[in-house]
Amino acid sequence: MSASRTYREGAAQAAPKGDGASPAAIVEVTNLCKDFGAVSALRNVSIDIAPGEVRAICGENGAGKSTLVKILTGVYRPNAGSIKVAGQPCDISSPKMAQELGIALVAQELSLCPDLSVEANIWLGSVKVPLFHQRARFTQRAREALDLLGATRISLDTPVRQLGMGERQLVEIARLLTRDARVLILDEPTATLSDIEIERIFSALVAIKQQGRSIIYITHRLAEVFQICDTVTVLRNGELIETRPVAGLDRKILIEMMLGRSFVEVYPEPITIRGEAALVVDGLSIPGSVSNFNVSAPRGTITCIAGQVGSGAVDVIDALAGLVYNASGRVSVNGVPVLLGSAVRALESDIMFISGDRAEEGIFRHLSVFDNLVATRLGSFSTLGMLRRSGLKATARNLAEQVGIDRRRLSSLADELSGGNQQKLAFGRCIGNRKSGVLVMNEPTRGIDVGARAEIYRIMRAFCAQGYTLIMTTNDLEETIGLADIIVTMYRGKLVGRYNRHEVDMHRLISDITHPVVVPAA
Amino acid sequence: MSTSPDHLNAGTPIRASDGFIGLPRSWRKRAIILVRLMSGAALVVAALVTPGFLTATSILSLLTTIPFIGCVAVGMTFITLSGNVMSFCLGATLSATTIVFMASVPIGLAGALVLAFLFSVLVTGAQGWMVGYFRANPIIVSMAVLALIYGFVTLFTGGRGIYPAGTETDILKGRIGWVPIPLAAFMVTVVLGQFLLSYTRFGRNVFMVGSNYRAALAAGIPAWRTITGAYMVAGLFTAVSAVLMAARYASGDMEHGLGYDYHAISAVVVGGNAIGGGQGSVVRTLLGTVIISILRGMLLLWGFSTQMQYLTTGIVVFGVIMLHSLGETR
Repeated sequence: MSASRTYREGAAQAAPKGDGASPAAIVEVTNLCKDFGAVSALRNVSIDIAPGEVRAICGENGAGKSTLVKILTGVYRPNAGSIKVAGQPCDISSPKMAQELGIALVAQELSLCPDLSVEANIWLGSVKVPLFHQRARFTQRAREALDLLGATRISLDTPVRQLGMGERQLVEIARLLTRDARVLILDEPTATLSDIEIERIFSALVAIKQQGRSIIYITHRLAEVFQICDTVTVLRNGELIETRPVAGLDRKILIEMMLGRSFVEVYPEPITIRGEAALVVDGLSIPGSVSNFNVSAPRGTITCIAGQVGSGAVDVIDALAGLVYNASGRVSVNGVPVLLGSAVRALESDIMFISGDRAEEGIFRHLSVFDNLVATRLGSFSTLGMLRRSGLKATARNLAEQVGIDRRRLSSLADELSGGNQQKLAFGRCIGNRKSGVLVMNEPTRGIDVGARAEIYRIMRAFCAQGYTLIMTTNDLEETIGLADIIVTMYRGKLVGRYNRHEVDMHRLISDITHPVVVPAA
Repeated sequence: MSTSPDHLNAGTPIRASDGFIGLPRSWRKRAIILVRLMSGAALVVAALVTPGFLTATSILSLLTTIPFIGCVAVGMTFITLSGNVMSFCLGATLSATTIVFMASVPIGLAGALVLAFLFSVLVTGAQGWMVGYFRANPIIVSMAVLALIYGFVTLFTGGRGIYPAGTETDILKGRIGWVPIPLAAFMVTVVLGQFLLSYTRFGRNVFMVGSNYRAALAAGIPAWRTITGAYMVAGLFTAVSAVLMAARYASGDMEHGLGYDYHAISAVVVGGNAIGGGQGSVVRTLLGTVIISILRGMLLLWGFSTQMQYLTTGIVVFGVIMLHSLGETR
């Protein structure tokens, strides 16, 4: 995503800004309330969305964004308040009804059938398709929808399985367009996309907006709000804080509106104990994804590997964690060579892994916080395979304190924690086995809201201060520039550039990871 | 869901998601606990009003059947907890082990015991290795092993049981003080099983691998060895049941273990162990075994046929699974 480019310009400037209840509003929500038992998730929330408006909805986790979306899409029923769609009062009682009203959610987990063709997916389940297809007409409409989104290169006959995540999202949007969606709701659409794909989605959104359709855009990535949205509604603890035009706002004000308190810069200052190179990777290769990757990271630093999806950045991290069995190359930690290909051996070599996929690969959701914290250190608390529970408990309490998890939560299930707290568990697990390990991480802040992010960054710096060396991937270039001491860029499995803090700007990074001028010889 | 309820940070209100009945999750959990308690109470009342249930004979027969199912069920618990659902061949393993045991009694009781345990542990261990190392589907593997066991054993025995002449094994039918040996062995099995799960590194690894295999792998836990170990423990406890049963009937026969997989699975499920793995305990399985056994004993006293017993067990297992799913819906 390019910070320099703004998609707001020139697009539907006529769209009324702010909440001046214009009669032309396509969606008009008044005093909406939703309670769950004794707890209210939304209190008196009112918003109006004009045709052709792109509205960001921001707030920390738990602010009520999802509840609002679920009410608009008919998943939840509100306890009080009214909704008007195109001026008509509506009781959106089911997702089907929401669809009929033209309110459509672009699902986070895409709801496409991977083995069917693009065209079949676009028309799948549509009530407009009669029993006997008038094939030509439907093919043409599907084509038009895709072309509108700029997806001219996607062939209607391709099975969806062969498309990238960004293209799939375009197909999903095209599908909603053919159903005459008037309001598209996108919930974190860019979380799984590479920067190029994000650009394509954004251009598609501009095209949709120019047709006079409205977009509700939910994201944790604040830069996107400024790039693509006209107005922003901030929710906090279920209450509407404010709706404002994006023009005239800046990042800091927006964050403060979300947090409800003044905001200290997210990225902590680096504490440098730059010593000798703690992690040296030389000639790392993985058949099919990475060739001849080198990096050398001094102790106490954070290295970010920037690269698009498919650049091999994630594979490098996985290989260092011992999760890629056919990786080859020389890797050493504190001068001691590491054998690749086994997570158990990586751990023995002081390499600890934090997965980007918390639910699938990171935490044990159905086990307690206690079990999660001590998962990797059972060995040091067992004699002949039998555990010393008291020692483990003391350690878990200590770890919880270090990463900022309330120790009374030790017996809660990990599943009950927020994303940010779950990530803290993953960090807690890595603390303190030895004082000089290497933390390898994929997307450590994925899906974590801005308040919790700052805390994660603080924890990461605390690791650095202890003498750990951190190396991570992230899709968020802003994070890369704000956080990293060393930035390494990758393109199609090859290393492109290596920069120190402040040596590189967003433009350079983007050009490196999208179309590098010189790809160094392998 | 991006706004997962976070009642862990002070200041954030507790939120819960809608369920299909519109009840918040915490309420639904309470409702389910209530249903469980009421079902338990109903069972106790039904048992008490069943004529003949509270007699010495009836209770004794209950105490003699529980150990045989119970040991297999405790073994099955390890397979379930390790995230591999269940094995359909523990009954066949049990049968085959009675044959190995009885066939090797001539070399002496101690030797026969060693051979029987070894056989059983190897059979299930091989399965565990297939499942853990190659990530083969546990259900399919267990069905393949089931066929293999039947094939091999009938090849060697010609489909007949083994009835050794001696009385060496009768000692296993005896008592330790007032406690029949099978019951004592079962109690040891339960204690040992729960100890393994709660107090050993292996046990905690079983939970982690069962809860999230990929996370366990990423955390450097020896995943396939843990799964193989869990299966071997299952074989170990199945062998306990096998030698006791062989001694009881003074024979080794493929008929002995018939239906035991199903009883064991029922006990694991009814006890409330998570079918997907990672959550549960041997104590829960013990509870499940007792419930299933009381139910069966009661039906027997009411004069219902075996078919009826199967039907009822099926309904109970089905109900428990439904209840569990309701608890998980979010």
